This record gives sequence, structure tokens and C-alpha cells, in this order.
Amino acid sequence: MSDGDRIVIVGAGVAGLRAAERLRELGFDGEVVLIGDEARRPYHRPTVSKQLVQGIARPGDVTLQSYVDLDVHWRLGTRATHLDTAQRVVHLPGGEELWYDGLVVATGVVPRHLPGSPRHDPRVRVLRTVEDAAAVRRALATSSKPAVVIGGGLIGNEFAASMRQMGRDVTLVGHARAPLYRFGPRVAESVTDLHRSHRAALAMRTEVRHWITTKDTFGLHLTNNQLVVASCVVLAIGSVPAVDWLRGSGLTLDDGVLCEPTLFAVGADDVVVAGDVARWPNLRFDDVPRRVEHWLNAVESGRAAAENLLAGRAGARPFTPLPRAWSSLYEVRLQMAGLPALADDTVPLADGITGFVRAGELVGVCGWDRPRAMLRWTAELERRLPAPEHTGTSVPAAGVPLVPDTVPETVP
Amino acid sequence: MAGRMRMRAEGPRISVDNERCERFGLCEWEAPALFQLRRDGRLRYRRRAQPHEIEQAAAAARCCPMQAIALTGVTGR
Repeated sequence: MSDGDRIVIVGAGVAGLRAAERLRELGFDGEVVLIGDEARRPYHRPTVSKQLVQGIARPGDVTLQSYVDLDVHWRLGTRATHLDTAQRVVHLPGGEELWYDGLVVATGVVPRHLPGSPRHDPRVRVLRTVEDAAAVRRALATSSKPAVVIGGGLIGNEFAASMRQMGRDVTLVGHARAPLYRFGPRVAESVTDLHRSHRAALAMRTEVRHWITTKDTFGLHLTNNQLVVASCVVLAIGSVPAVDWLRGSGLTLDDGVLCEPTLFAVGADDVVVAGDVARWPNLRFDDVPRRVEHWLNAVESGRAAAENLLAGRAGARPFTPLPRAWSSLYEVRLQMAGLPALADDTVPLADGITGFVRAGELVGVCGWDRPRAMLRWTAELERRLPAPEHTGTSVPAAGVPLVPDTVPETVP
Repeated sequence: MAGRMRMRAEGPRISVDNERCERFGLCEWEAPALFQLRRDGRLRYRRRAQPHEIEQAAAAARCCPMQAIALTGVTGR
């Protein structure tokens, strides 16, 4: 990229914002266009299932801040419809064609649909956006009946805790044997106890057999023959990458956008990918491309994608983060580092700290309300899983800003 | 004007919103010279970063799960 060029960022979530910010930090002074389908500036999405749905934060409170002058052209409330990588054009509604010299794809994910669920009913919602949180609050206000959340992942558990913190009855329905079971049996057992102590109901190893819709409530007939009555139902059964607009673009769309280790998209020039939608091999672990659906990964990959777009393919560095994530459930802080999903076994490392082991090697840690211990174990994980030395020798063409030495390293 | 110049020379002011902060300690991971999660669970932090610590301070603010860290005196640098 050089002066006068235009970089288009599709996706105005945290990944797109941090990409724009990094472009400016590195001195890119061409045009930056930031396209987002939501009609608001980037905001702190993790609050949707917690502070926003509880009503203890307002939408205006959760706007993300930036410490550089972004100087971007905002195209909010605009959904990109198609990408033409040969002509280097992003197609927008109404036949508008937006050319680019560099493109950042950061369209994230969309919540997964549950077949058979009455999604046209305003009392059945997903929890992705500020508007979703407001809609759930409206549904809750119309009835004092319990809420139901389907899905035992982070968002499902956070929503269940939010309901209890509001004094609302709630049932979490999941098909796993326990909530958050993917973080191992110890974490799952702790979460189960925590919900029990707060009197949140759990219906595990079950799913909805059929929905009974009445004027005031839903009845959910579960496969374990339980009948659950609900004022509103939240679907939190995971997400799928938002790649519909990329079909026919030549990019490889198989669970997200396939990328090289540097986040450059396979199959196109001058296209980088960031956030939940990027499937790239993190060479710190192995050469298998994977997606990482965590907020901090969106922050860090947004920055790395921007750095590499400016450096050019030849000068790009592999993106090799140590993934980290967190959640709050009631008064408990849950933290993760590494890639627990790779593990074939778990092992207790210390009080409240679970290790995730693959073929005898530590690949992840999870902390149950142990933030200080997590700092130590994350450092230990980084020591055991160092980022591979970058052996790239290519030098970007003259006039292209190099990634400066002042790039903050991840501090052990 | 002199005041503003002195502020730039000294680096940005750091403030943490205690209502928002849940003491995850990710700020200490990003900027251990500026933030420290103490044994008693409280967060200790320096209220002014040195100019060479701006990148670290910004990283801590950027990565804070609760978005509880604010820096003043950074924009326009």
C-alpha cells in the first residue's frame, strides 16, 4: 500500500476497528472506508449478554474508544453484498461498487439458527447485538414467567447468570452433559454448582422436541419429557461465519475464510482477514487452519492483519498469538489461555487451574476465579509454546511502511 | 500551553473505572510496568505513563475485558 491508496474494511466490529486504528498508527495516510451492517459505531459486544441485557449499561456506554485519529469514512448500516477480487471491488446495496487497493475482511459471525424454532416471534431471540439485548429486555418486561436459554456455551451461561442477577427465573437447556463442558469436567462441575447455588435451573443432555406457542408464553417440550414454560427464549447455540457475501469471490469458504499464516486470504491479492471469520494456521501450535471466536483474538488479529496488509505479502509476519479469553458468571471470573479445544486430556495444575494436554504437551489453561494464577500460568504456557522464529527475509518495496520495532510485544 | 506540553512530555494519564474493573489482570499481562494485580485482589496502577510506555498503556486499555481503562493526553501525538 502507498499514499493515495484506499483500504476498505468490511466489518465494523472490534476487529475492523482495531485494523483501522493500526493502519493509522503505522502512518497509512490514504483513504480508509469502514463498512458495517449495524447502524452504530463499533461497540463492546461482550456486554450484550451481560450488562446490556441486564440493563446496567446503556448502548451509549459501550462504544469502543480509540487513541488515534481514525479518519475513516464510515459506511454504517451498509451490508456488503459481493466481492470481486479480480476487479478489486466491493459491491454494496443499490449497485454501488467500491474499489480498493487493500481489503480487510472482518465480518465476524452470525448466530446459528435452531431448526424448528419460531424465529419470527419477537420473544425468540439471539444475543449478538445491542438491538438483540433490547428486544430480550422488552420480552422480559411483558411477562414475569421464566426465561429459557438454549445452549450451554459461554453466551448461554452468561445469559443464565444475567437472568438470576436480575432476579428472574431461568432454565438453561443444553445437549452436552454439563454447561461449558468443552472446558473440561472440572470447569463444567464448578459451573454446574455455581448455577445451582444461584438457583438457575439446568436441563442438560436434552433438546427441544417441540414448541408450544401461546399468546402469553412458550411451552418447550424437551426430549427428556420435561415441559418448560418461558416468557422469552434466547438461542445461544453457536455461530457461523458471515461469508455469504464472499461466495463466488475465489476465496476458500470452508468454515470461515481460509488464510495463510499471515492472515492473507488464500486465493486473492491484497486481501487480509481478521476476527472470528479468519481461519488461519497458528504456527505456535501447528499448521492446521482454525478459527478462534474470542474477543481478544479479534483485537489482536485486526492489528496483525493491518500490519501485514501494509507490509505486503512478501514482508508479512505469521500471526502467532497465544489466544486468551474470559467470561464472568455471577461473581466468578473464568479465564482461558491457549487452545483448550486441542486437548485430549485435562489435568489439575493448581487450585482452580485446569491444564489442557495434547499428547503430553500443555496446550491450554483455564482458571476458575484465579486471575493472578492465570497470569503465571499464561506465562508458563507461553514459555512452553513459544512463537516460532519468523525466518522471513523478504524486504517490502521502498515506500511501504515497515512494521516498526516499537510494535508492542506480548509481554511474558 | 506550557501545561499541555509538559503533559505530553510526561506521557498520558491513566485512570481505571473501579465500577467497571473486575480485576481480570489482562492489563498486567499487557503492561506489567504500569498495572499490577495485588495479592489482596486489588489493582494497583501508575497514574501517569512515561512517553516510552504509551504503547503498553494503550495495549492495556485496548485489551481490557471491561473497557475500564482510559488514557488522557494521548490523541494527537
